[in-house]
Amino acid sequence: MRGWRPALRIAWRDALRHRGRSILVLVMISLPVLAVSAAAVVIKTAEVSGVERADRVLGAADARVRTEGRGALVQAPDPLESGWTPVGEVDLDAPLTEDELRAVLGQDARLVPIEDGSAATRLDDRVFDFSTIGVDLSDPIAEGLFELEAGRLPDAPGEVVVNGAMLDKGFAVGDELDVAGTALRIVGAGRDATAYDYPVVLGSSQDMRSGAVNLREWLVDAGPVSWSQVRELNAIGAVVVSRAVLADPPDDASMSEQLGYGTGQEETYAVAALIIVMALIEVVLLAGPAFAVGARRHARTLALIAASGGTPAQARRVIIASGVVLGLVASVAGLVLGVLAGWAALPFVQRFNGEWFGPFEAPWPYLAAIVVFGLVSALLASVVPAWLASRQDVVAVLAGRRGDRRPRASTPVVGLVLLGIGVAASAYGAVTAGGGSGAFWIAGAAILSVLGMILVVPVVVSTVARLAGRLPLTARYAARDAARHRARTVPAVAAVAATVAGVVALGIANASDEESNEATYWPQAPMGTGVVSWGPNVLPGEEAPDPEPVWSSIEQVVRETVPGVEVERTHGLAESYDPNGWTSQQVVLPPDLEDGEGWGLSVYGPSVAVSDTAAGAGVVGDVLGDVDRALAAGRTVVFTLAAEGDVEASLVEETWREGSEQAVDRRVHRLDAVMVPWDQATSGPAPASTILPTAVTDELGLEVMTRDLRLTGDLDEATETRVDEAVRGVTDGTYTYVERGYERPDEAVVVLLVLGALGGLLMLGGTLTATFLALSDARPDLATLSAVGAAPRTRRRVAASYAVVVGLVGSVLGAAVGFIPGVAISRPLTAAQMGPSGEEAGPFLAVPWLLVAVIVVALPLLTAAVVGLTARSRLPLVARLD
Amino acid sequence: MNAVLHLASVSRVHGEGATEVHALRSVTFRAHPGELVAVMGPSGSGKSTLLTLAGGLDAPTSGSVWIEGTDLATLDNAGRARMRRTSVGYVFQDFNLIPALTAAENVALPRELDGEKGRIARRLALTALEEVGIVDLADRFPDEMSGGQQQRVAIARAIVGERRLILADEPTGALDTDTGEEILRLLRARCDAGAAGVMVTHEARHAAWADRVVFLRDGVVVDETGADEPEILLAGDRA
Amino acid sequence: MSIRQAMLAILEQGPMYGYQLRAEFEQRTGETWPLNIGQVYTTLTRLERDGLVEVVGHGGADDQADQGERHVSYRATEAGRSEVSEWFATPVPRSQPPRDELAIKLAIAVTIPGVDVATIIQRQRSATMASLQDYTRLKRTGRAATPEEPADLAWSLVLDALVFDAEAEVRWLDHCEARLRRAALDRPPVRRDAPAAAPSEEIVR
Repeated sequence: MRGWRPALRIAWRDALRHRGRSILVLVMISLPVLAVSAAAVVIKTAEVSGVERADRVLGAADARVRTEGRGALVQAPDPLESGWTPVGEVDLDAPLTEDELRAVLGQDARLVPIEDGSAATRLDDRVFDFSTIGVDLSDPIAEGLFELEAGRLPDAPGEVVVNGAMLDKGFAVGDELDVAGTALRIVGAGRDATAYDYPVVLGSSQDMRSGAVNLREWLVDAGPVSWSQVRELNAIGAVVVSRAVLADPPDDASMSEQLGYGTGQEETYAVAALIIVMALIEVVLLAGPAFAVGARRHARTLALIAASGGTPAQARRVIIASGVVLGLVASVAGLVLGVLAGWAALPFVQRFNGEWFGPFEAPWPYLAAIVVFGLVSALLASVVPAWLASRQDVVAVLAGRRGDRRPRASTPVVGLVLLGIGVAASAYGAVTAGGGSGAFWIAGAAILSVLGMILVVPVVVSTVARLAGRLPLTARYAARDAARHRARTVPAVAAVAATVAGVVALGIANASDEESNEATYWPQAPMGTGVVSWGPNVLPGEEAPDPEPVWSSIEQVVRETVPGVEVERTHGLAESYDPNGWTSQQVVLPPDLEDGEGWGLSVYGPSVAVSDTAAGAGVVGDVLGDVDRALAAGRTVVFTLAAEGDVEASLVEETWREGSEQAVDRRVHRLDAVMVPWDQATSGPAPASTILPTAVTDELGLEVMTRDLRLTGDLDEATETRVDEAVRGVTDGTYTYVERGYERPDEAVVVLLVLGALGGLLMLGGTLTATFLALSDARPDLATLSAVGAAPRTRRRVAASYAVVVGLVGSVLGAAVGFIPGVAISRPLTAAQMGPSGEEAGPFLAVPWLLVAVIVVALPLLTAAVVGLTARSRLPLVARLD
Repeated sequence: MNAVLHLASVSRVHGEGATEVHALRSVTFRAHPGELVAVMGPSGSGKSTLLTLAGGLDAPTSGSVWIEGTDLATLDNAGRARMRRTSVGYVFQDFNLIPALTAAENVALPRELDGEKGRIARRLALTALEEVGIVDLADRFPDEMSGGQQQRVAIARAIVGERRLILADEPTGALDTDTGEEILRLLRARCDAGAAGVMVTHEARHAAWADRVVFLRDGVVVDETGADEPEILLAGDRA
Repeated sequence: MSIRQAMLAILEQGPMYGYQLRAEFEQRTGETWPLNIGQVYTTLTRLERDGLVEVVGHGGADDQADQGERHVSYRATEAGRSEVSEWFATPVPRSQPPRDELAIKLAIAVTIPGVDVATIIQRQRSATMASLQDYTRLKRTGRAATPEEPADLAWSLVLDALVFDAEAEVRWLDHCEARLRRAALDRPPVRRDAPAAAPSEEIVR
């Protein structure tokens, strides 16, 4: 430490003296630290694991045992977090008994059954789901599972308590709740230990059966349950959440292999490592120029140190010490602010989370790691300038000349080699995309490519400077000056390039993904038409409603709501809604046509439609005439892939009962059919696979019902919303849809916008840093320009030119590098997709040229314009002290 | 004869109140074509202020500055900048070349800033470099040149485009005696060719190259020498 | 006296008569220290007396025969030569500074009340400056500007000596002026409260 003290003192004073530069570095480093530590606090607080979870699921019990059948399994110490898996055959019909558990847990172990399930109920015409917990809440072992806030706990069968979310649905203490035909009385309300916004009903285990015949679960009161007991129970088929094990988890390396979550962890680590490395690179690159300028300002100091016998290491320390000082201050400030921000954000985040957050938690090991991250990034940012500064030409500096050494010729070689490896690894990753390890190769390749690119930047910058001879004065000055102050320019250009590379890569991935989505999109109706469908929610024990009156009222409401839209019912064979059994209808072609060119068509409508006109069944396109002719002739139309002509098809009706393995009833009708080939490559999925004319259904006595309403006309999104709201008002279970072709999901657009904004911001940051540091460095030059007769706006021009040089070089380079992982990742992302017509499709590659153009050309120019407009237009005076 | 530079009762006050400093007090000063005037004075006498006012880099608190018959007060910032590009050449102690530009580009700077085409500006620059004798160094960068060469470039930059007023601020301050004399010889030659030169220095030996030496003390001109035709020590040596 | 050694040194290059000797001397020193011919012959006579030069006859001056004994040429003797080399080998002593009228004038002026020393200094400086300008003009215009012969170079070096001398005087005057100002500022005890840094800062450089 002794050797560091003077260096740290110089660094500290320097940081205070050059406030602007210090604040720049502080912001660069403390912002990511702030964001990550706030996120860490929120995530850790939201995350309920280990002992925290124990109270929620165990109540006051020592363990919770769950079995679904007999058969050995392995589990993680915290099975709720990391799961379990059977290791052999599981006999589902023979769940474990209480006696078998007692044999392990001790004869005096008390087992209190607890049921965990879900149910649905009806409130007016809405049906909604909720969780059920069946346990004797008055038993002290259940204490902590539910916190009563109003009313009382249930003390008899038929009584339940509910949580706040249930009250929000419209229930109140004293109401009756109808669950599967049983009336339950709500006697109390309170706070469920886990669920925050999801409705939960708690009652006795008799009332709240989980529904599964072979699942049994107990709360255990038997003193601490050891890991070996857990293993014993695992061996016979029980999963155990033990308080004692959670509190002191054993080393679970052996388990994790068997559980197979090892690879999952690796994946998480790899992604985390990728993010951390990229963030580190970005922060280092953004903060680097400030240190480079600091090092330049210290050039004389360092030269004097060297002249008075200091070693290069001692000279380096002066610069590195400023990294230490600024990094430490920035990290600690970022940490404190981050923890505060996380704490302040908790109530807000809770609203979006279904589960109650745990108590406030600041994960100190993580936070310490984040502080180290900040410190390391500052150190790394200062290392290169420090190293360059320590090998400057002492004599030249003391004589008042620049002491930069020429960059070694080997750096571009190393950079190009890294880039080459990056391309190769990306290609390998893209080719071996199937396994999932391809993404790692590509991610690793991305880092290599970016590192390689950083090493190539100096050469590119020098080349640009060499080619700048013919440029206008300010541009020439900016290019040459950028090349002369490489220590400052290179990180800024690299920061811009890394950002652009990331945005371009993600942009290509996104565009390819979108193209793949679009290419594999299955329309649900002819383009531009709307569909209102309805299917009633029928709870067990309820009678299915008569559909036709409902359809009439839906149709009426739609007509009233949007009078300009044409509404037409489409019909199909009736489907039974009886939960106890159903009937299926299927049109079958002769066996020689079943494969190949006969069947295999994709259909979006009902399998068997009933209509006398093609338009009535939603058919559009060239085949309209053929279909109409056939239907008019009273013949059935069967759409095929390629086969055409008359055919003898048959309609098979089968009736099935719950749990039965075979149809209980089967009828076959002969159909006089015409096969019509449907060109799905151009028309997309067919509206139906078969169309029966009413003549046939009448003749065969088949029940025909309304399948949906088809809407045609002006169906913009507002209209769609109005229709949707109107039919929802009529009954539960409606679904309104307007086919607009493939539409980019809103969140994808938002993600793209956020990505673009973030990229733009980082780019702006990199460019601005470099530009304003350059301007402050260029003071004497600007003063000279002024003395020689430059107009005041020259300063703006120089600033704008600087921004153009940094932004343009960075973005061109970055875009080029971004193509490597972008193109590569698009393969695993979009390979082996199913097209709308069922064929294999992909991989897709789409380059968002507009995005690339905006980033590569428009953004630098925009940045330059911003810089040019915001830079002061006053030139400094040549100041000579006398 | 019309003065190229005319300072009429120029005063310049820096700061206000307690920190008020009178850098110049009602100085009247002329520089005529073909004349090299040296301004001598100790530190803080106001000689650098005089030069910044003369180049329109700063404006006087009172009084007026005329260059080639134009009152600088009537010009805006851009106009004064144009004046510097076209009429005034600056030479500094620290050369103040722009390290990112080659010698020729540095010399061409005023012309390029004036909107001259690159090729023409370069040709003018090469002519100016020829005049100061270092046309062979045209494509070198400043840090590849010696101090004397750099100052020659600076002088070339000050004279490029036939400018008629050269303002030099301790032009030899950073040079050794011999090189310094070379620079003075160049300045002298330029003035003998018709330009007006004003050189600020604190060294008598360098001031002696001027036709006229003006002594500044505390912002006031206290004396002036050599206004008359100089006496020659020995008539026989008159060339 | 250096004239004696200087003449002896010139004679070492070859025999010369008086007028020739004077021309050679002035060629080298740029007529800065003009010699009259009487002085030349007096010196030569003394040198001959001391055995440092000898008469070599009347050769080389037939065309000027009517000027009689004045045609005598002189040449350095062996003793003369050693005297010359000793002169070159010995530094010019500074043990006894030459009497400096200006220094004496100022020294006296400072001690006598009512004399405006600053004006004396300024006048002197302007005068010295004017001479300095003259020297410089000679330096940059005459044969000293582009010395081709050794004698021209010699003349230019003599001019340099004068320039540096004058410059030293100007600098000394500047110094005197600065010291007098400081002394004047220090003297009145009334301005005790004035910031001490202000005056000293002005003078330091």
